[in-house]
Amino acid sequence: MNHFRKIHRRRSTWAAVAALPLALMLAACSSSSASDKGSGTPGAGSPASGSSSAGTPISGGSLTYGAETEPATLNPQLNGQDKARITLRNAYDNLFSVTASGKVEAWLASGYKVSPDQKTYTITLRQGVTFWDGEPFNAAAVVKNIDEVLNPKYDAFGAAGPFSNVKNVSADGDYTVVFTLKNVYSPFLITLANLPIISPDSYSKADVKAGGPDIVGTGPFILQSYTRGQDVVFVKNPKYNWAPATAAHTGPAYLDKVTIRFLPEASVRTGALASGQVDVIEGIPGTSAAQFKNSSKYSYITALNTGTPYSLYFNTTYGPTQDIRVREAFRDAVDLNAIISSVYAGQRTRAWSAVSPEDPHFYDKSLENSYGNNVAEANKLLDEAGWTGPRKGGIRTNAQGQTLTIQEYQDKTYVRDSRDVLLQAIQAQLKQNVGIDFNVQEVDDGTASQHQSKNTYGTYDNSNTDPDGVDISYHWLPTNAGGFINLSQVKDPQLTQWLHAAQSTDDLAVRTKNYDQLQQYVIGTKAYSFPLYEPADQIAAASYVHGLGFRSYFQMPESEYDVWTSKH
Amino acid sequence: MTTTELGAAGATAPAAPIGTDDPGPLPAPGTPSIRRSVRLTLAIAIIRRIIGMIVVLWAAVTAAFLAIYATPGNTADLILGTSQKSPEAEAAVTAQWHLNRSVLTQYLHYVAGVLHGDFGTSYQLNAPVSRVIFSQLGSTVELAVGGALVAIVLALLLSITTAGRPWPSKIANAIELIVVSLPEFWLAILLVFGVSFHLGWFPVAGAYGFSSLVLPSLALGLGIFGMLSQLLRGGIERSLDEPYSLSVRARGVSNLQLRLRHSLRHAALPVVQLTGYVVGGLLGGAVIVEQVFSRPGIGQITLSAVGSKDLPVVLGVALLGAFAYVAVNTIVDVLALVIDPRLRFTTKRS
Repeated sequence: MNHFRKIHRRRSTWAAVAALPLALMLAACSSSSASDKGSGTPGAGSPASGSSSAGTPISGGSLTYGAETEPATLNPQLNGQDKARITLRNAYDNLFSVTASGKVEAWLASGYKVSPDQKTYTITLRQGVTFWDGEPFNAAAVVKNIDEVLNPKYDAFGAAGPFSNVKNVSADGDYTVVFTLKNVYSPFLITLANLPIISPDSYSKADVKAGGPDIVGTGPFILQSYTRGQDVVFVKNPKYNWAPATAAHTGPAYLDKVTIRFLPEASVRTGALASGQVDVIEGIPGTSAAQFKNSSKYSYITALNTGTPYSLYFNTTYGPTQDIRVREAFRDAVDLNAIISSVYAGQRTRAWSAVSPEDPHFYDKSLENSYGNNVAEANKLLDEAGWTGPRKGGIRTNAQGQTLTIQEYQDKTYVRDSRDVLLQAIQAQLKQNVGIDFNVQEVDDGTASQHQSKNTYGTYDNSNTDPDGVDISYHWLPTNAGGFINLSQVKDPQLTQWLHAAQSTDDLAVRTKNYDQLQQYVIGTKAYSFPLYEPADQIAAASYVHGLGFRSYFQMPESEYDVWTSKH
Repeated sequence: MTTTELGAAGATAPAAPIGTDDPGPLPAPGTPSIRRSVRLTLAIAIIRRIIGMIVVLWAAVTAAFLAIYATPGNTADLILGTSQKSPEAEAAVTAQWHLNRSVLTQYLHYVAGVLHGDFGTSYQLNAPVSRVIFSQLGSTVELAVGGALVAIVLALLLSITTAGRPWPSKIANAIELIVVSLPEFWLAILLVFGVSFHLGWFPVAGAYGFSSLVLPSLALGLGIFGMLSQLLRGGIERSLDEPYSLSVRARGVSNLQLRLRHSLRHAALPVVQLTGYVVGGLLGGAVIVEQVFSRPGIGQITLSAVGSKDLPVVLGVALLGAFAYVAVNTIVDVLALVIDPRLRFTTKRS
């Protein structure tokens, strides 16, 4: 499964920028009736929770949801975009659900057993589950799914990702599946819990890779139609009777019909909700949050992502950032709290460690306030590092006359949530405070990818959302041994040892200790990376929409299974 | 039709000859030898047109192919995305799309496929290119037709009613200059915020029937309307100054009749010759308008395909665009014959 933050294709921001003056003007007109009765949880960083659920849920009705990201493929197993799950979770169920504290609970599977050597997982399946087309869900269906995910012709990444730890999978009777692992791999259950299941017949459909109505699931909604560039329409699955343990109700969904409309421009989404053209939107810029938070006509909820925060990775094998003093000076030279507060109008949370503060186990709180915002120290470090030549246009130089330039190629395909503005603010402070030329260039996907392959970048920006320490190993294993996004280009046997120690036990205390040591090393001791802020999801909805929320543990907006609408 | 010349019948037309060559004495039309030569000329013209079309399509595909290859980045990397570059995954993707073949082999393979009616499969969308494009074509055509209608209807109304009248003409001129100078995306955003969000008259996004076509058509058509209207009014004004206008008026024909039946016809010819340019403007503008209004269409898929080096989709769109260009120019040539009878009696020399 390739469930990285291969972030959705963000369309241009120019329209949004151009629209800003108008949006502000209209917002000013329409917020005259604002009150403080917003029913969502206030501010970013607060825990995920459902929107107001006053009253008894009513069945029936339809809902139009304005989503930011159109899935590149509707096949839930091949789609690597986190934000595509907002759409696809309506139709495709998983084997397990996971509670906020990380406990694995029943869904399509009713239970599991792990052998004492932790290499054999025996999964029992729920009986009586059927796919929409009537095909039964059973052990053979699960085995077929795993076999296909491991087949590089179907899923190019699957055979290399976390499922590569599977040595063998087999059915034992109709409702038992036995997995044998090559080695102990503690994130296995969470990995399995995050895999959407499709019907065995789907794999022989011509459209299997593009996805769509032919790809059959067991979900609470049936994928009825897809119009590229416009919407996906779901209708209620009346037979649904296998809700996850984490859901608020059982039986079929409340809504008869859910239309997910793709509105890539943030200003269009907020305007469409404000003018009543859609009922719910997600992905709300910090500067627009107040419009919905402070109004009794809307609910507004937010939840931090899982995984590794949006961070800058210093290249330790190219350019000035090979020197730890330059890396430390870079972090000390900026007042990141002030920058984040102003870029996001106070609606985003600063990050300190290699793990989201949302992680129930591995977030290392001791790193908070342990570095940064010390301009005098930064200048001292740069002097020591030999960047003491005459300044050129305010930029430091060294004895050879080279300027202190650190290249950042920001891939505009992945730029969202004002991340371009964030890096520009950092750029300005670095130049003004310590004379570092942080050269941020917004480039196309191909150019960014070329600099990554040729190793000609100073920093690389990235965030990813894999939970349970999987994100940490992608960032800090050697690039040729599972470190797919080891953007600091670090090859340190010490890191590999901690990561293997953490992944080859189910003893939470041992795992936490190893991950904490690693975080303190890569961020504290070595300054390999500079965590910036924790990405978050936001949902705003008209006040008649109830039951919206976020997935427990995995975060991200939940499906519309528990959602209902009161009279409006 | 740029080397046209006037035949015997055209020589008596009131305006000056359009062609520059001296055709020399020609037999009167209608004689058997002329009919044969007209048929032959027609056959040659059709063959030339078909060869021309093939050359244009081939050139478009080749240019698009080379342009995509010149952009930086490795296609397999782009298919996988920043975070999935394991050697195994790259090998699998490379094998799946035959990316390890030489550029020439890939190019020949593609051209051979097109000759067999196979336009390939999108790397990013994993669906056949022909289906991807045809699923989006309808809504782009709707939008282009809507925009063209807005432009033509408004231009006709304004130019016919204001031409030759000092004050209305000045006001119309100002309006036209303003809409021509407004960037399409700004106009689109004004419409989205003003008419859709604030007044709530029309929906903002999607292609859900007529009501969702109104604002995008306006955003697309207004700029073109400004240009057409300027041209038309200028043409009508020039024609009203011609001596034949005076003689038509002397027959007691009303002012409106004169403008509709006679002046408009003269003014329309240069406008029709500009149709290729207008269609280009409609298709280019559609990319922007589709973005702002979140409408499905060719523009949206083209933008993302170019960004991700999705070669089969880019080439498919290039073929479609080249085909549309050739088709439109053919129609324009025929239309010119309908509008200007003088052109019907010409022979074409190479």
